Amino acid sequence: MSLVLDSVTKRFGSIVALDQLTFEVPRGQVFGFLGANGAGKTTTMRIALGVLRADSGAIYWNGSPSEALPRRTWGYLPEERGLYPRMTVLEQLVFFGSLYGLPKDVAAREARAWLARFRVPDFADRRADELSKGNQQKVQFLAAILHDPEVLLMDEPFTGLDPVNVALLREAFLELRDRGKTLIFSTHQMEAAEALCESVAIVDRGRVVVGGSLAEVKRSTGRRMVIIGIAGDHQLRWIADVPGARVIRPGIERSEVEVDEGIEPDVVLAAALALGLRVTHFEIADPSLEQVFIDHVGRPVDEDLRLAPAAPGGGSDRRSGGARRRQATAPRADGPAA
Amino acid sequence: MSSRDPLLPNALIVARREYGERVRSRLFHVSTVLLATLAVLVAFAPLFIRALDSGSVTRVAVIADSPQLSGRTIAILDNILNGALAGDEVRAPFRVEASSDRAASLAALGHTVDSVIVAGRGATGRLSFEFHVGETIGDDRLQQLSIGAFGVAVLDYSANNPSGAFQMPEVQLLRTAIPGGGASLGVADYAGRRIVGIVFVFVIFLTIVIYGMWVAAGVVTEKTSRVMELMISAASARQLVVGKVFGIGLAGLTQYGTILVAAIAALAVEDRLATVLLGPGSTLTPSFAGLTPGLLLAYGGYFVLGFTLYALVYAAAGSLVSRAEDLQVIALPLSLVAIGGYLLSILALTGGTTWFIRLASLIPFWSPFVMLPRLTLGHVESWEVVVSIALLVVAIFATYVVAVRIYAAGVLLYGQRPSLKGLVAATRAAR
Repeated sequence: MSLVLDSVTKRFGSIVALDQLTFEVPRGQVFGFLGANGAGKTTTMRIALGVLRADSGAIYWNGSPSEALPRRTWGYLPEERGLYPRMTVLEQLVFFGSLYGLPKDVAAREARAWLARFRVPDFADRRADELSKGNQQKVQFLAAILHDPEVLLMDEPFTGLDPVNVALLREAFLELRDRGKTLIFSTHQMEAAEALCESVAIVDRGRVVVGGSLAEVKRSTGRRMVIIGIAGDHQLRWIADVPGARVIRPGIERSEVEVDEGIEPDVVLAAALALGLRVTHFEIADPSLEQVFIDHVGRPVDEDLRLAPAAPGGGSDRRSGGARRRQATAPRADGPAA
Repeated sequence: MSSRDPLLPNALIVARREYGERVRSRLFHVSTVLLATLAVLVAFAPLFIRALDSGSVTRVAVIADSPQLSGRTIAILDNILNGALAGDEVRAPFRVEASSDRAASLAALGHTVDSVIVAGRGATGRLSFEFHVGETIGDDRLQQLSIGAFGVAVLDYSANNPSGAFQMPEVQLLRTAIPGGGASLGVADYAGRRIVGIVFVFVIFLTIVIYGMWVAAGVVTEKTSRVMELMISAASARQLVVGKVFGIGLAGLTQYGTILVAAIAALAVEDRLATVLLGPGSTLTPSFAGLTPGLLLAYGGYFVLGFTLYALVYAAAGSLVSRAEDLQVIALPLSLVAIGGYLLSILALTGGTTWFIRLASLIPFWSPFVMLPRLTLGHVESWEVVVSIALLVVAIFATYVVAVRIYAAGVLLYGQRPSLKGLVAATRAAR
């Protein structure tokens, strides 16, 4: 009982969007589909939904090919949000529920119940164009789940939401999972994936570079992390003298230290104690999902959301001056980002 | 895909939403009122023309085979037609004069003479009247002339005190032949039908183009607002296209029906209004008589088929653009085709049935416009109607298949200029 993607390939002209994409999502799990823009996440979802046709390979749900499944099997929250601006929220939800085969009265009842769960019962009779973007997004989420789909596909569901709505959405995810639904979402936000997902797949250029349970994926790089806190010392300069260990993320209370494969994390604790430092916290941990992504893909997941390094000597005089100034303060900015 | 996505009920659900949104909009209300007002004004056009015409004088030349018959015909006609106004040359609506030169009088028909009446007496004493009429005489005046001729026969019978029974006069109306052949109509009937034709060809052109653009604009709006992303996962492309075309078409039919009812109501009361405004005997029946049930059916049928054909293309066109401002550019070629059809229909309304008009009335994108005026004026062979409808239906099915594929691909294209190559590639990629 699972969702299986079996060697799915899709080309758009000369561009290979999906290249033998293969992974499996166990039923009743929250699954993170992680990748940078253009990795093929939306294309995969569109093929599952039947909007696009795969060049080869297939997607199966509980053994049935996706083309043979009724549309109500899926709920879909697209990355691009949109509603009919002049329809009321209730009208829209009933309309979409009806398209998925829900009787009108059932759709209306479900819609009102979910609006109440999201603490916005008064939205029912308001037009979509009277709502904020975040609230429109909540309505879209309800449109995706109202017909009680078995599999929920969500493209960047947390983008554009404030922390309160992110928390509400996470709670809804977990509730749906507890009801036996399978949730698959794509995201750039590694923290969200770490907090919610039982299994993940990291995709790059249409291929799965690593996939499996969250613990397996995090251990896939062989890296080990130490989280350490030292009273009165947040710079941890002494770590430089510990072979195979380096500070990845310094912090006032606790810092993250990476330990090379083959080095026991205990050496960090031993070095601190040998120096007579007072250790307030010591924890052996897996690397963050973000670090795992960089290790496997070779660049951060949100690289395309950051400014590229300025070309040396390029552009106008003003730009060149700006580039020189940046180079002076950031000597590594002249090379490509890792 | 089609097995998992039957057309119903989703196409109907989409249609219901489209219909509700359109008929509830202010644009719909305003345009319905404006178009209905326009249709009523055009329907009343003959009345206005007749009202303007009421002060004019109809010149009648009488040619008889004997001076006695000539004099009697003129005297009686003058008396009956001008009544109390006989002799008042300024106000009398008819000026009846004798003529001895038949050829000259017929040549002057439509210029200095509106009607030439050739009166004759047969061997049995029965009177005969040939009415030659030009385009300058209205139907009501023609009717009055016919009544006058009957009066001449009755009074002639009384004056001669014949022993035999009264013989009805033989009346022959020589109507103006319609240029280009086809069935000939009376001048007034012809003019009336032309007005009906103009009203409905105008309305059908306007509604097909307006509602077609509604379909395209609806698709673009769904793309712009990005609700399309939800729609394509909830329903198939063909459910969406059919639902949209059906829903907006139904909204169009609602408006079309409202306009039609207003126009028919105007035509129905036109006679009474004419009597009130122009006096008894001023009938305007031909313009209403032109609207036979068959013709109304043809208008409805060609509207539905024409709209469906155009709307499918407009839906596909709308799916290819992401911004409302690009829509005009992509819809322009189709609008030009429709305008071409409209201009041809105006040509057909002027009576022309050249081979080109006949051909245009069979070509699917033009037939809804061009066949209607031909039908209105009664210039059509039945096989032509059958062929034009068959070609329209075939064109609709072919367009439907292509439009659904373009739509399925087009709605996924954002921010790209639609090129033929890109479109073909996207059409292959989409389901």
